[in-house]
Amino acid sequence: MSSWTSPASIAIKDRLFRALAVLRWVVLLNAVVLNVIRADEFERPALGATCVVVMIGWTVFTTWAYDDRRRRTSPLLVADLAIALAMLLATPAVKGTDYTSSVPGFWVMGALFAWAIHYRLVGGLVAGLLLAAADLQRQHVDASDYGNAFLLVIGGPIVGYMCDSLQRMATERDVAEREAAMAAERARLARAVHDGVLQVLALVQRRGHELGGEAAELGRLAGEQERELRGLIHAQEAVTVVGHAESVDLVAELARLEHGQNVTVATPGSPVELPAATARELVAVARACLDNVRVHVGDDAPAWVLLQAFPDRVELSVRDDGPGISAGRLEEAARQGRLGVAESIRGRIADLGGTAELATGSFGTEWEFVVPRTSPI
Amino acid sequence: MSESEQPARIRVMVVDDHPLWRDAVEHDLAQAGLDVVAVAATGREALARFPAARPEVVVLDLQIPAPDGVEVTAEIVRQDPSVRVLILSASGEHADVLAAVKAGATGYLVKSASREELLTAVRRVAQGDPVFTPGLAGLVLGEFQRMSDEPTPGSGVQTLTERETEVLKMVAKGLSYRQIAERLVLSHRTVQNHVQNTLGKLQMHNRVELTRYAIEHGLDED
Repeated sequence: MSSWTSPASIAIKDRLFRALAVLRWVVLLNAVVLNVIRADEFERPALGATCVVVMIGWTVFTTWAYDDRRRRTSPLLVADLAIALAMLLATPAVKGTDYTSSVPGFWVMGALFAWAIHYRLVGGLVAGLLLAAADLQRQHVDASDYGNAFLLVIGGPIVGYMCDSLQRMATERDVAEREAAMAAERARLARAVHDGVLQVLALVQRRGHELGGEAAELGRLAGEQERELRGLIHAQEAVTVVGHAESVDLVAELARLEHGQNVTVATPGSPVELPAATARELVAVARACLDNVRVHVGDDAPAWVLLQAFPDRVELSVRDDGPGISAGRLEEAARQGRLGVAESIRGRIADLGGTAELATGSFGTEWEFVVPRTSPI
Repeated sequence: MSESEQPARIRVMVVDDHPLWRDAVEHDLAQAGLDVVAVAATGREALARFPAARPEVVVLDLQIPAPDGVEVTAEIVRQDPSVRVLILSASGEHADVLAAVKAGATGYLVKSASREELLTAVRRVAQGDPVFTPGLAGLVLGEFQRMSDEPTPGSGVQTLTERETEVLKMVAKGLSYRQIAERLVLSHRTVQNHVQNTLGKLQMHNRVELTRYAIEHGLDED
């Protein structure tokens, strides 16, 4: 969405013009008071008084005119700047060619900022240049006149640039807010849809199993999909929470291991953020352990993954219900120069600065990894 | 099937907005000789029918039209602290399951559980045994860890004993109570007691927090 037409940027403009209306009255008051004090400088008092009346009238008019966004059209802005220029150019006629202060003085700020707000950087620059040029028409240009002109030329674009940035930011914030609301609504709808699909898949699985025969095969397929979808949902649940690109939620990553085979993943309910490389390596290690279970225990062998998070470390365990590894088999393999899976797993955990322990017995085989959290967030 | 042999049939209420599921669960329970005293499709229906039906066990889906499963759990446990709530959820979203258990549910099953698993779970929950899945044990472990990591001052954080943590960890690793009893050289009953205590502490912590919140916000005065 363009920052020129978005509702957020128009709302910003409304605020800025309301603030400008206040400023216009302040600089008008200043100009009127100064002109009254310096009334003796007037060579043509009637013309001078007319100028002051025009400025008062124009301030009243612009306060009303800029208040409604529909009235903020180019003719209004052109007229606004033209009046300010006319006041400057009329000064020699009022005060003679050898004057020190112009009739409108700081009052020209109103037109300058109106252009800066409405036409932003370019508008501020154009208005600044024209006003400065008109002001430098005077005969004697001293340092302070030059300074004022210079301020007009740089003040216009600066204010214009800031208005531009404000409106862009407001537009972007609006878009971001809308996207967040849309994402939340989508997630809400997805929950309902997912739940419905999961219900049906679970039901098919259950009934299919009871009916047997071909229906059992359908049930098995439904069961696979059910696990897969549930794993994906768990993975997705945590996606939005992670803020850093370089850190990853290990809970979500591990949840992906649940699909396909008979793997149960138990984790804390809240995200466990780890540096991406550490998290990926841990998941890879867990996957290697699970592959090992498939090779040594069986394709459909159940396995359990448990993640526990502590402030200083994470503990990950992978267990199966298999017959266990017979005593000495690993050592035997190592002696024969076959380092095998176990050693590669140990090595990978050691690279992460952690420890790996392998327990085996009648309860099956259990790997337990403890890895320090290097940068707890 | 040795149905209707049991002297006292377990009174069960089934709450699920999915008609197919509700019927399937009701059918399975009835066939196994349990007494399905009420069914409900929404939270509102559940709360309306609960007082008259007086079930011992409520088999509850979490994703039901308002009030949701968590709110229903909290309300019926408040009305009748002896009622057992078994959560039967399709998606098993972590936050929901944890909230339901904190609100007083004593069991949790994923809907893909088999008929036998469901019946066993209902019977065990009726006896007062918590039904833990490894997933739920992991959530509860994580919750206790979170509570000890960020203690709220003065709330008297409930902590698990070393033994309770050990048992819960084993449940989360998929060991059965029998396997745990064997490995730790404990009786089956003791293992169950440890698991039960952890849930009790979690629910206690929740009640303490709610009470504290109520007092702080002046909700205890009428």
